[in-house]
Formats: sequence, structure tokens, C-alpha cells
Amino acid sequence: MELNGRPQTCEIAPGANLLHVLRELRQFSVKLGCETGDCGSCTVLLDGEPVNSCVVAAARAHGHQVTTLEGLLDDPLMKDLQARMVAEAAIQCGYCSPGLMISLYAHIKAGGSADEAVLREALTGNLCRCTGYVKPLAAAAAVATERRGGTS
Amino acid sequence: MWDLKEYRFAATAQQAVSLMRQGPGKGAFIAGGTDMFLYPAGCDFVVDINHAGISDIARTPGGDLFLGAATTLHNLAINPLVTGFAGGIISEAAAHCGNRPVRSTATVGGNLCNALPSADMAPVLLALDATCYIADEESQESLPLADFFVGPRVTVLEDRLLVGLALPADAGSRSCASYKLTRSAEDISLVQVAVALDIRDGRIETARIALGAVAPVPMRAVLAEAQLAGQTVAEINPDLIADAAVIAAGECEPRDDHRASAEYRRDMVRVLTRRQITRALFENNTRTETGGTVA
Repeated sequence: MELNGRPQTCEIAPGANLLHVLRELRQFSVKLGCETGDCGSCTVLLDGEPVNSCVVAAARAHGHQVTTLEGLLDDPLMKDLQARMVAEAAIQCGYCSPGLMISLYAHIKAGGSADEAVLREALTGNLCRCTGYVKPLAAAAAVATERRGGTS
Repeated sequence: MWDLKEYRFAATAQQAVSLMRQGPGKGAFIAGGTDMFLYPAGCDFVVDINHAGISDIARTPGGDLFLGAATTLHNLAINPLVTGFAGGIISEAAAHCGNRPVRSTATVGGNLCNALPSADMAPVLLALDATCYIADEESQESLPLADFFVGPRVTVLEDRLLVGLALPADAGSRSCASYKLTRSAEDISLVQVAVALDIRDGRIETARIALGAVAPVPMRAVLAEAQLAGQTVAEINPDLIADAAVIAAGECEPRDDHRASAEYRRDMVRVLTRRQITRALFENNTRTETGGTVA
């Protein structure tokens, strides 16, 4: 597979999920939460689309592009999003943050709206048990609005 | 960890069936896999069909809409060919299925082949008269989606592969409305109702009413449909619509479970069928709604 823009070869068990393989590859932003595709802590990009890596077969990634938060640390959009998240103090325990950032990144990257209802839809796959959605939504709305030239 | 012995890739639908029959042991097709990872027991190997050339969405020259079985629900939600068909009702149903990352990989074929009574995509596709295409090693067969489901988690497939669905061109101009009653959009539906009316010159030429999660398999309420077919829109009245809804409630076979009682489900079929018929008849913006409260 191509992991964060670089070719990556590894041996996997046939039934391994992508989450465990990525953590073995030291992608520690990918968090193990529910392992049932509900919580979104393990969200990564598969060919640019957000997926729950716990319910994606690792074998499925063969020949595809996988992007984790580690691969986006120098990305201008991700940097904007991080800065806004920090400015809004949009983090409590932080466990859901990487998955939440990936989901918001994918939404904004695709030209998604800054409208709150649409942003909430983009976050349907990410659970935060500190219940801190308001500040991440505010951060994302600000970045999305900037990206869209001031319109939501 | 899923105790799987082998993960195979198929390059064509025919090869997928052949790989499935090679053994040894029990195999299953895998596309998105979002459900298979939840219930991983009982498989020795899987056959990946994501590269089998059955992920496309196309409009045929005759106007039929073809949906490859391995098309993701997210693609159904955003593809212009799908959003522009039958008021976008298929896209809306897809967009109300699971959550955003699940929809990135979960496929329409997987949703149907799991054959849960509550399969989110089944009612709208039934209401639009979808035809299933099924591949064998050497041949291909088609049959109405209504005949695809045999029982809970059982289809007609056996070791064959669902390759796609075709929706007839005339279904593209039907007036539609559907509703998924659930606690939240991510949750399994308690009741689903989809209505599609073919209205020509002010007359209902064909009526389709499809129900989900209220019988062992997704079903059509054919007696209620007969009540509407042939009626003129100008003369249709609330009593007639209410009668059709009562008939639909009589046709379904809901059961009690921890999510809802059979009695509640049956009554919600009545209420929601009445409302969706009314919306399909009188509202221009056909769309799927999801909600947890019905007054």
C-alpha cells in the first residue's frame, strides 16, 4: 500500500483489520476505541475518503493510498485546522481528536460546507465522550469558511 | 482478530464465483466489510470483490439506471446520476444509512446481501422496481429484487454473486417519498416506508409501497398499492389515502423485539404510509426523512 505518500510493504494476517496493522506501523494517532465501526477513533483516509480502520480489512489496502494524521502534519489545511482547534481549546481528553480531525479534514478538503448541520453530519462517525462537539465544530466552521472565501 | 485463513482478490465477477467455489471450507464475498467485521465467525476465506469491475454507476442509452453492487453508499449519496433519478430518493436513503465513514466503504450490494429485514436500501429500491443481476461462473441471471430475499439473512444467491441492480427508466420520473423511523440515523431502523407513484396526466398509473423492518424480509404492500392505482390525483381524498395506509398495516408481519413491539411497528406503518403517500402526491421536493418521533 501507499502509506502517507510512501510505498509500504508488510506481512499481515488474512483477517487483520487495518487499525492493528497501522498501529504496528507506528501510526499511533490511529486509536483503538470500539472496534465495531461506531466511535470513529480509528478514522483514517482510504483513497482520500474517511473510513473506520477497525472495520476495513488490512488486505483491502493492498494497492491503495492510506493517510493517517501523521501524514498530514505538514499539510496546510491540517495545520490551519490544528491551529483553530488549539485556539478554540477544542480538546478535552484528546482520545477522539485524531479521528475527529481526519473527518473534518476530509470534509473541508472536499469543499464541504461550513454550515453547522452539514458539519455535524460530517462528524456522525466520531463520538466524543467528553461531549465536546461545540468547540471542534466552531473551529471547523472557521476553517471551512476561510477555505470557501468567506462564505459558508 | 478475525480468524480467517485466506483473503482472495477477484478481478471479475465470474472469477469471484470461481474463487468462492474453490474451497477449502466456507467462504464469503467481502466488499466494504463493515458488517463482516462485526460478525466474523464461520468463514475460512473471503473473496474481495472491490476490484471485480462491479462498482460503477451508469445510465443506459434507454435511460435505465445501473448501480454496481460494490458501489459505496457514499457514492450513491453524491453521484449526479443517482441524485437526479426519482427525485434523488436513492441518494437520500443512502445518506441516512450508518455514519459517514461507514458509508465510505459499505456498499449497496452488501446492504442487500446481508438480507436483514431492516436493510436500509431495500424499500426505496423495491419501490422503484429494481432488478437484480446475479453472476454465475459462466452465466448471468436477472430477477426482481422482490424475489431476491428468502428470509432473514438469506437470499437466493447461495454461492453466486450479486453484480448490480437496474432501475427502469420510467421509475426515474416517479414521485417518491420515504421515511426511516429510528432512534438516530446510525441506528437500525424500526420501520421504513417508501412510496413511489407513477403519475401521468393527473392519474396514478402505478403505485409502489415498500416496507422495511416489519416482516421477515423487506416487502411490498401490494394490496395497498392496488387501492391507489388508477386513481386520479384531483379526486383522491384523505379517506382513500388513510384506507390504503390501513391496508398496508394489515399486510405487514412485524414482530416484537428489544427495539419496538409488533403493535407499535404496525401502527407506525399505518401512520407513515399515510404521510408518505400524501407527500409523494402533493410535495414537489421528494426526499427521505429520518426521525425518531412521530406525533
